Amino acid sequence: MTRLRTLTFAALAASVVAATGAAPASAQTTTGPGQIGPLQIGLIAPLSGIYARPGQVMKMGAELGIEDVNAAGGIKCLGGAPLKLVTIDSGDSVEKATNAAQRMVAEYPELVGGTGSYLSSFTLAVTEVTERANLPLLTLSYSDLITERGFKTVFQTSATAGAQASIALPIIMDLAESETGRRPKTVAIITDNTAASLSSVKRMKDGLLQRLGLEIVMEETFTPPLADASSLVQRVRTSRPDLLLFLPTVISDANLILQKLREFRVSVPTISFGIAIAEPEVLNVMDARLVEGVMSAVANWGVKGQEALIKRLKDRYGEPWMTQNAISTYGDMWLFKTALEKSCSRDRQKLAEALRTLDGGPSQYYPGGTIRFDDKGRRIGASLTIIQWRDGVPVTIFPTDLAVAKPVWPKP
Amino acid sequence: MAFLRSLLPYFTFAAGYLVVAMLVENSYYQLIITLVLVWASFGLSWNMLSGYTGLISFGHASFFGLGAFATVLAQIHLGWSPWIMLPVSALIGALAGVLIGLPTFRLRGHYFALSMLAYPLAMSYVFQWLGKPEITIPRVLDHPALFLQFEDRRVYSVLALLLLTVIVVITRWIERTRFGMSLVAIKQNEAAAEAAGVDTLRWKLKAIAVSGAIAGAVGSFYAVVILVITPSSVFGMLVSAQALTVAMFGGVGTVWGPIIGATVLIPIAETLHAVIGSYLPGIQGVIYGLAIIILIIAAPEGVFWKGVDLIRRRRVPAAGTVPSGAGGVSRAASVEPAGGASPASRISDRIMLDVRGVSKRFGGLRAVRNVSFQVRKGEILGIIGPNGAGKTTLFNLLNGFQKPDQGQVLLHGSDLAGCRPHFACRAGIGRTFQVMRPFKRWSVANNVKVGAYVRAASEEEARAIAREAVAQVGLSAISDRPASALTTKQLRLLELARAIAGRPEILLLDETLAGLGSEEAKEVVAVIRTLAATGLTILIIEHTMQAMVQLVDRFIVLDHGQLLTEGLPEAIVKDPRVIEAYLGAKWAAHA
Amino acid sequence: MTGTQIIIESILQALAAGVLVGAIYGLMCVGLAMIFGIMRVINFAQGDFMMLGMYAAYFAFTALGLQTVFGAVPGPYVAVAIAGPLLFAFGYAVHKFLIRQVTGMRTIAMEAEGHYAQLVLTLGIALVLQNGAMILFGAQLVSLRTPLTGQAWMLGPMWGDAVAVFLNQAKVVAAIVSVVIIAGLWLCIKRTRLGKSLRAAADNPEASVYVGIDVDHAHRIAFALGSAITAVAGGLLATNHPFHPFVGLDYVIVMYAGVVLGGIGSVIGAFWGGMTIGLVQQLSILVLPTQLQNATIFVFFLLIVIWRPQGFFGRVTERT
Repeated sequence: MTRLRTLTFAALAASVVAATGAAPASAQTTTGPGQIGPLQIGLIAPLSGIYARPGQVMKMGAELGIEDVNAAGGIKCLGGAPLKLVTIDSGDSVEKATNAAQRMVAEYPELVGGTGSYLSSFTLAVTEVTERANLPLLTLSYSDLITERGFKTVFQTSATAGAQASIALPIIMDLAESETGRRPKTVAIITDNTAASLSSVKRMKDGLLQRLGLEIVMEETFTPPLADASSLVQRVRTSRPDLLLFLPTVISDANLILQKLREFRVSVPTISFGIAIAEPEVLNVMDARLVEGVMSAVANWGVKGQEALIKRLKDRYGEPWMTQNAISTYGDMWLFKTALEKSCSRDRQKLAEALRTLDGGPSQYYPGGTIRFDDKGRRIGASLTIIQWRDGVPVTIFPTDLAVAKPVWPKP
Repeated sequence: MAFLRSLLPYFTFAAGYLVVAMLVENSYYQLIITLVLVWASFGLSWNMLSGYTGLISFGHASFFGLGAFATVLAQIHLGWSPWIMLPVSALIGALAGVLIGLPTFRLRGHYFALSMLAYPLAMSYVFQWLGKPEITIPRVLDHPALFLQFEDRRVYSVLALLLLTVIVVITRWIERTRFGMSLVAIKQNEAAAEAAGVDTLRWKLKAIAVSGAIAGAVGSFYAVVILVITPSSVFGMLVSAQALTVAMFGGVGTVWGPIIGATVLIPIAETLHAVIGSYLPGIQGVIYGLAIIILIIAAPEGVFWKGVDLIRRRRVPAAGTVPSGAGGVSRAASVEPAGGASPASRISDRIMLDVRGVSKRFGGLRAVRNVSFQVRKGEILGIIGPNGAGKTTLFNLLNGFQKPDQGQVLLHGSDLAGCRPHFACRAGIGRTFQVMRPFKRWSVANNVKVGAYVRAASEEEARAIAREAVAQVGLSAISDRPASALTTKQLRLLELARAIAGRPEILLLDETLAGLGSEEAKEVVAVIRTLAATGLTILIIEHTMQAMVQLVDRFIVLDHGQLLTEGLPEAIVKDPRVIEAYLGAKWAAHA
Repeated sequence: MTGTQIIIESILQALAAGVLVGAIYGLMCVGLAMIFGIMRVINFAQGDFMMLGMYAAYFAFTALGLQTVFGAVPGPYVAVAIAGPLLFAFGYAVHKFLIRQVTGMRTIAMEAEGHYAQLVLTLGIALVLQNGAMILFGAQLVSLRTPLTGQAWMLGPMWGDAVAVFLNQAKVVAAIVSVVIIAGLWLCIKRTRLGKSLRAAADNPEASVYVGIDVDHAHRIAFALGSAITAVAGGLLATNHPFHPFVGLDYVIVMYAGVVLGGIGSVIGAFWGGMTIGLVQQLSILVLPTQLQNATIFVFFLLIVIWRPQGFFGRVTERT
């Protein structure tokens, strides 16, 4: 279907170009080099297999983003050329992701940039390929390793996992103090051993908790998925922390642990990291009352000012709210637009160069900072959002200027 | 020379593949071309152990994953190039193979298969626990070739093809030597292989070491190609399953199986993924699964063997009718007429085997109780007794399958009790089994050759001994025929030939006449007698009394694990105790 | 709370969790034992049969309106009871049209008695089921929620005001149902004609043929029954554990490990094998890092199997 449309469009474009004689038509490419031929942007994300859900949500965000960019007149510098989404399924394994990335760069030579690939190990594999093909790739994955390899064409729009811990914890502490009048003294940590969770925890233990005057009274690392969370939660219960930091990646783990906390009648203010705890599916598997008040530090979320967008997402795809996967991928399309206006070229290397040197002003679709990237490809000043479950919906409570609701410290 | 000639089809394939690989510019196709070779190589590693020994391993990801992790970690932490780590990974794989094999080879069948699965899964969790959720090979910009990094993806295909070629040559070489024959002997009947003098544990350990080495090297190369590894991407169940799938789909026990499997399956899966996966995510898995189901039902033993069988059937259209019509066997057997040498001249005074008070107990069951008897050289001794009397257990004690709790088994005066079967075989005790399990696609001559290795120093000698043994049982006329085309009688003779190819001094025959008609039984009895005439001492368990009475020189009778009586055939058939214990009313009436 | 109290509470809690998890594992293993133990077929798709059972129960509950008819608490269990017969029929059909092609009498002449073909065939079935379920049911997580799911009974405090053990109500019910089903099945196998023919077919298929047992039919019943039991186990698990189309992979290994520990061919053994795995998994947390709890299962499994190859309940068979 898409391929067919591309071909038709290419034929059309080629004939127009040939007729006007503006540029020589090339027989090898699927789209003519004419000024109004669409610019291909790749979305390489898991659409099948165990991680299909997040990939599908990323696709929704990308589709909306493309639509809006094109409605706003496309890439003006290139004669209003529209963006066109090319979707590539990265599958459910590192090998499949590598194959998909290789296919993306080989089969779509016209691609100017891409975004992907949800799971950090997939993003690592995909960027090994795109870096060698000089294809700029934006990613919402936040494992620190992604931008520690000296790559020149990988751009991390989220704060890295390590940075997220440094940003979120002081805010949480201040919030606790302002709401309860005292700062938490002891903390329990339950984390899975995925790369992102581990780098957050590493940062916490490398002095961050100490600086905040927090003492770890219990720490457990598990391999997802858990079969039963009784023993973990029992340890939380006996160690009686002031605060529980909880870093799950798999929704079923988030569910099990929250459910057990409730069963064991442990009421400790729970701060999660990542979106596992705030996905719409959470309500498929547990009662909204169970998660009420739970906070999570996430790289990105639908915030104040995006109500119309969130409504469109809801109407078109039935998604009840806008998670990081949707909003970041949506924002990526606008980021591409900004960079393309700057590079004013269909050349991917020039686009990469534009992204490296871009100064796009304050960030609109990613929290905090500006649209600028440092040497490593990390967005400068990238912050995060903190969300809280309120009446069955996870809403943004931080940053304050983007917050939809005021934070409420969970009553112990 | 013949070895090189046998590789000709492979080299033709490799040359063709190389040409295709060189012509393809598209880097994605190039990657798939490389991965086909990688998975074919991994399939061959699996085939090395499981294909030839028949011990199905679900855990080849252990070696693969260790190779992959070693390679990446060595480059990150030590700065070692994968060029070094490729052979080092092979060593690691071999070592892991031996360490895993030593305890696990105690197990058989499904127990072995499922235990093997536990190793890579445990390793996966351990690497995760060590804080290695994902690692990548650092990109090298100066002299990338020194670190096996190339801009042109075709180089990887060439290297993968070289790797595959080395593995194919090793496999083919092993297939043709004593190593491979011993492994196949283990596959058809491990007990029989032990009895034929094959030190099964040693060969199995060698096989798993070679197999592990190959898998380690392949894992190392895989890491270089994919660049990013996670515990589940190299130790996961799907990795082990991949080896199994390509090998079983293509055909097990041949170099061609994994090659065919990988060449067909990997591109199908990838193409489906690329072409239709984006329309309806998941549909590629459904179609791929259906394709596998349909193909495996059409060719349950793999594509290769299906092809071989089809060709063979076309070439020998009446394979089923020829053997029964061939009279060569009975004629050969009757060359030496019954009673060609009188018992008196055949039997010497020398005591060949002296069994002294052996006992064996299984839990509460006393299977063999304090049994003593002697056998003289050249004697044919019949062992009879009702079902469960302990006859087969007694044989097991004699040739080392089981260690007696008490007693001695003296062969030429030296005690063999508790020696491993292959040692007993070397010492001169040969044996056949109730259940026949020849390797059905092998010729008679090759089946017999397995038994000859224990006495042969070279392939040449083994062939000669086998030829002689085949002639002795009268199967020369059909020595090139595959075992699958033989009749029951011919299979019994094949078993006999294999046993005597080990040049035993004593031959233990376990129900060699079972399942034969009376005419056929007579022919086999004739062959046994000619063997005895050459000075061989024979112990035989049998139910067919008629044939036995004519064949044996002396009987011993077992009942409830005890020696009831012994004596000449005429005396035994009239002994009321024997009639009561074993022969029962039916025989009593007959007598 | 004193140190001793904490230790005692930890041990009791781990034991309780182990028994509750183990009871469900046990039922899964019994389902597999019917297939693997009796037919000696390694079915890679067993976990996916369980997944189908979970969805069958889920849709029976949500689509058939069982909640309104039977109420929120019994409704899900009625749904689980419906999933059993559905998967029985499914298993029966899968055996009749697919598995039979590569098992039973026709494979005796095949290389490795058809095991190679069985493995590849069931791998293909697994792929079709997983991906087909994703297309039909979607990739998102769902669960068969009951009011019991998020509630626990508290035993204690047993020592002063400390040492309390919490038992999830949905898990307790699931464990009790498992034990009842296994007891019923055990009686059925011991007492009925069907049970006897199943046992005979398991012990010696060739000899069974001679005494007039239709081994093929016995195998088909065993396969269907095994699928049904697995489905029920899945349904019970779904009342306290969320699932998705790929959930089978997480459990299939546990099932095989349990059956082998119990001794291939023993149905009761399979239950104890599954129970052992649940206990080892949960008790290991007391002494080892939580991350290694599944590694512990495999190491324990290897130690037991290498030490006692026939499993807990397997018989000593001659190795020649």
